[in-house]
Amino acid sequence: MTARISLWLVVMVGLILGPAAQAQSTQVSAALIDDAVLVTSSFTGAKVTVFGSVRAGSVGRTDIVVAVRGPDRPAWIAKRKRTAGLWIGKDQINFVAAPTFFGVASARPLEQIAPSDTLSLYGLRPKGQLDIAKTSASSPLAETLIDAFVAQRQREKLYVDDSNGVKLLKGGLFRADLQMPDRTPPGLYTAKVMVFRNGRPAQSTLTTLVVTKVGAERALFEFARDHAVLHGLAGVLLALLAGLSAAGIVRRFVPG
Amino acid sequence: MQVYLPIAEMAVSPWLMATLGLVVGCLSGIFGVGGGFLMTPLLMLMGIPAPVAVAAGANLAAASSMSSVLGQFERRGVDLRMGLVISIGGIIGVGIGSILFSWLKSQGAAEATVRIAYTILLGSLGTSLVWESLRAIAKTRAGGPVPSLRRSSTDFAHRLPFKIRFPRSKLVISIIPPLAIGIGVGILSAIMGVGGGFILIPALVYIIHMPPNLVVGTSTLQVLITASATTFLQSAVNGSLDLVLSGLLIVGGVMGAQFGVIIGRKLKGEQLRALLGALVLLVALRLAADLVFVPSTLFELSSPGGGL
Repeated sequence: MTARISLWLVVMVGLILGPAAQAQSTQVSAALIDDAVLVTSSFTGAKVTVFGSVRAGSVGRTDIVVAVRGPDRPAWIAKRKRTAGLWIGKDQINFVAAPTFFGVASARPLEQIAPSDTLSLYGLRPKGQLDIAKTSASSPLAETLIDAFVAQRQREKLYVDDSNGVKLLKGGLFRADLQMPDRTPPGLYTAKVMVFRNGRPAQSTLTTLVVTKVGAERALFEFARDHAVLHGLAGVLLALLAGLSAAGIVRRFVPG
Repeated sequence: MQVYLPIAEMAVSPWLMATLGLVVGCLSGIFGVGGGFLMTPLLMLMGIPAPVAVAAGANLAAASSMSSVLGQFERRGVDLRMGLVISIGGIIGVGIGSILFSWLKSQGAAEATVRIAYTILLGSLGTSLVWESLRAIAKTRAGGPVPSLRRSSTDFAHRLPFKIRFPRSKLVISIIPPLAIGIGVGILSAIMGVGGGFILIPALVYIIHMPPNLVVGTSTLQVLITASATTFLQSAVNGSLDLVLSGLLIVGGVMGAQFGVIIGRKLKGEQLRALLGALVLLVALRLAADLVFVPSTLFELSSPGGGL
């Protein structure tokens, strides 16, 4: 089951700066209905949907790219290595901050939309979003480990690059969908809508959405955080009571 | 169907978790071990952050040992005094172990030490359990008398000072060996995140020379106390106890433990030890394989929810 959210955010953007403005002004408005994803006990992930419209010149090609980024958390990756015949060693690098979720949706592969350096500069590549710790940066394996980190998070659907995620509708309307897995943590998420004209960034708009625990999930989480001692006692009590009642139930039905 | 875990911050299948609890709970009922040494690695394999897995494993161990210790008390299979002495040692050991673990961590040697220690300990333990019990079974088959596990009173446990009487076990031994065993188990428990029953049982048999019918019950009592302490500490200190996950595991676990006690009653002491030995050996071989063969995943990384 997918908690479906639609967020309407209406942002009208005026003239763009720079040389693009001289050619023809590009306007984008994007809309999200809700700005909150509710994490309930049946939460298994969420689909973030962005609607919008873009007005651009008729000459050349217009591309829409939507990027959603989760809260940063510290992270690490390690590569096992053999030491004295045994796999006990590790080469590890640490990240001061890495996005917990990083999803990019577009209507065609990003490489076809803009050159690689442009994509990196405008923060559309997960690799550029990793803040590597100073002590780790000099590691000879840093490059390999960073690539492996991104690859693993892509396998876990935490870093997504969906080249079918944007649907272009009639009249300059578009719709973008990004699927966030259940492991995306609560926090503040940023959504960015970018318009590319002939491979050049022409316009962009930013908005935020909140992923938040509600109901029983929130109550349990806050209980654990604010009353850790009582929460621990509750865990012990749960174990003792469950043990007691199971002993009682089973003995009724299985004599001896 | 999936259920979201508020502390682990991920969704799991409740049926899978309850079944896992049932199987591990059953083993814990049969052998009097908490099952932490099986459950904790299994949970981590499923992608649950390590601190959450340790807390949940301990909580399950507390529940299933509570469930089976009652049956053990009823059939007078617990030496309460011995259990309490070992538990006091256990709590001291958990304290020492925590300090030792942070020191190893600061030296960057924690994981390698734990892995090698685990492999050697479980390997030798499993081998000796299987060897000894197979010999006993073979002798019984041959019609000879079952070899007594009790040694003469010249044993060191009887020679040390501070002797006290353990009426239920019919032992008068120094308080030092049970306390020391408790401390040792506590240290291992803190470092490895396990209850320690799988180490305690052979220790009670081979070092204390406890009557075999009291071994499982007494060990279960000790697991109950240590695991409860670990559950509490994990929540109060690390905030890593996930009550939803614990609840799912416990529902299956307590039922399994009941059936385990019934199955265990039908097996003889040496058969039980042979089975436990085989189980311990399997885990040791699995660990040894990780050390020797090229691991399936060369990379490991932190999960978003924690496990930093």
